[in-house]
Amino acid sequence: MDTMTKLSVLTGAAKYDVSCASSGVSRGNMGKMGSTRECGICHAWSDDGRCISLLKVLLSNDCIYDCRYCVNRRSNDLPRASFTANEIADLTMQFYRRNYIEGLFLSSAVEKSPDYTMEKIIKVLTLLRKTHEFFGYIHVKVLPGADPVLVRQAGLLADRMSVNIEQPSEQSLRLMAPQKTLPMVYTPMAQVRDEIRLYKEDRKRLRHTPRYVPGGQSTQMIIGATSDSDLTILQTTSKLYETFGLKRVYYSAYVPVNQDSNLPALATAPPLLREHRLYQSDWLLRYYHFDVEEIVDPVHANLETEIDPKMSWALRHPEFFPLEINRASYEELLRVPGIGVKSAQRILRQRRLAAVSGDELKKLGVAYKRAQYFITCKGIYGGSQPFDPTKVRTILAPQPQATQLSLF
Amino acid sequence: MDYLYDGSFDGLLTCIYHNYYLEKADGIYVQELYQPALLIESYSVVTNEQLSSRVYKAIEDKLSDESLHHIYHAFLSKYVDRENIILKYLRLGFRMGPRIDSYHTHPDVQPLHKIARKVTTEVHRFLGLLRFTDNGSFLHARLAPDHNILCMLADHFAERLRNERWIIEDEKRNLAVIYDGMTRNRGSKQRHWYIICLDAPLVYPAQGCDPYQELWKLYFNRISIESRSNPKLQTQFVPLRYRGNLVEFEPLMNET
Repeated sequence: MDTMTKLSVLTGAAKYDVSCASSGVSRGNMGKMGSTRECGICHAWSDDGRCISLLKVLLSNDCIYDCRYCVNRRSNDLPRASFTANEIADLTMQFYRRNYIEGLFLSSAVEKSPDYTMEKIIKVLTLLRKTHEFFGYIHVKVLPGADPVLVRQAGLLADRMSVNIEQPSEQSLRLMAPQKTLPMVYTPMAQVRDEIRLYKEDRKRLRHTPRYVPGGQSTQMIIGATSDSDLTILQTTSKLYETFGLKRVYYSAYVPVNQDSNLPALATAPPLLREHRLYQSDWLLRYYHFDVEEIVDPVHANLETEIDPKMSWALRHPEFFPLEINRASYEELLRVPGIGVKSAQRILRQRRLAAVSGDELKKLGVAYKRAQYFITCKGIYGGSQPFDPTKVRTILAPQPQATQLSLF
Repeated sequence: MDYLYDGSFDGLLTCIYHNYYLEKADGIYVQELYQPALLIESYSVVTNEQLSSRVYKAIEDKLSDESLHHIYHAFLSKYVDRENIILKYLRLGFRMGPRIDSYHTHPDVQPLHKIARKVTTEVHRFLGLLRFTDNGSFLHARLAPDHNILCMLADHFAERLRNERWIIEDEKRNLAVIYDGMTRNRGSKQRHWYIICLDAPLVYPAQGCDPYQELWKLYFNRISIESRSNPKLQTQFVPLRYRGNLVEFEPLMNET
């Protein structure tokens, strides 16, 4: 099989992996080629609008597992292929030279055993880092069930590692991936967390301590393959951030690829809007000082689709508003729909010089259309209508699409 | 009095100097693009590095590094009025001091922040959207950016492609950055890249098809998920005007 065919097969098999971030590590070129930027750099955007930052391929799609949701499951009749370490290293280096990519995202189906595959992954990383002296970004998947020694070896070569949790609850995981269990996911996650901490501590005292997963770890879960509610998903997310100190949790709207009685039918469209709302909630958790219970609760177990989660919270808490822009604390400002992290910081900076007026808010990057109902500026209420949650909701929710009436 | 300068950053700063020590400026313009007005006198400023470095230092000391960053990026922008925006900003800045960048909505501050941000955004975009082709003797990239961003790209690539020889060519402005990987020493802080003016676009004998280019196009096609197709979103990130130089938007040689 030539490289062209292999790349075609193994890219097609890797595309459902979501993460493509190249951020979190700032490092100069200490070898022959490559450097990384703290902010990460996107290099291309594919037809689906997702960014391409890393060369995202599987080492092999020849899997021993039979997870129901997965394209590469054993029982699917597919062309199977495996890259050699040299082929991947060569592709990475040549793509990198031409500035197509920021680095490599290497994942793999479980070929023969987790240890066997993990060893092959480490071989690729060693080749890149030691032989080619490549200092670009490398994201590597940890295969659940791999030996801790192998996980550590990979961690010393990679910038970011991720163990996929795949499903938000034990029960769904059992249903979808009968050969996997949650402890199989949590064990390597905990190991990476502890070792990141350990190496960081050592580095404070010993300058030459190697860096270990400097970009932190992430994970991903599939949305919409099972009946889990947004409450379950967000609770799991928040637990992952708190317990394992993850940098990111990715959500992947399930694209039906297999016929299965437990899965949505093949023609079902992926729940993209739900995925979007989950990401918005994820941002609320990480940057806006929200708790899961404020976003969803047992009564509202699923996120609203018409309005975003922050607006939804605001409309459920009219007692919090209106807020005086010139007095509110940073955390309070972040609660206002239409004010983001950047605009909140700008408001704080500017109001040290002079009180901020409503007109100025627009210039500061605030989405005034949404914010007006929730704020006062210098004591003046901004909204065109008095604050009434039901009214505001009808104004701000998307209008139903007007359709041409049929003449007949 | 209108001041006319040669288009260099030093020239602009010299004009700013004269604005304070010679006569107040009504406007600052690039000499070549200037259209004389009936009632306003004009004066061609000779770029003086001593004077310009005094202004440069004054900005660093009395304003802030952040201001300097904004001013330089605004200077690189394509807008005809950029010199006057910078002039107004500096007039206010020398009165207000380092607090000026907190005053986001001030009519003399906002325009400068706006155009500076456009330039920083484009610089960041092109760190990713630049494509090199390997022609056997060096790597060559062509781009047609909105703003004059070549000098902001050079350091980044000199760092990561340290052992390569490369040229980045700005098609719109007939400028190019040249980096000769051989001359750079390890650990030395000195930059070994040069910006030169080109008389005509670079041409060299066509090479055979680059196999990695084909592999990249294949990868680009295979990585997208059909059922999530979203060309509008894609256009937001990669505007059509940039696509001429992006190899992945060319069709594959032989469809497999």
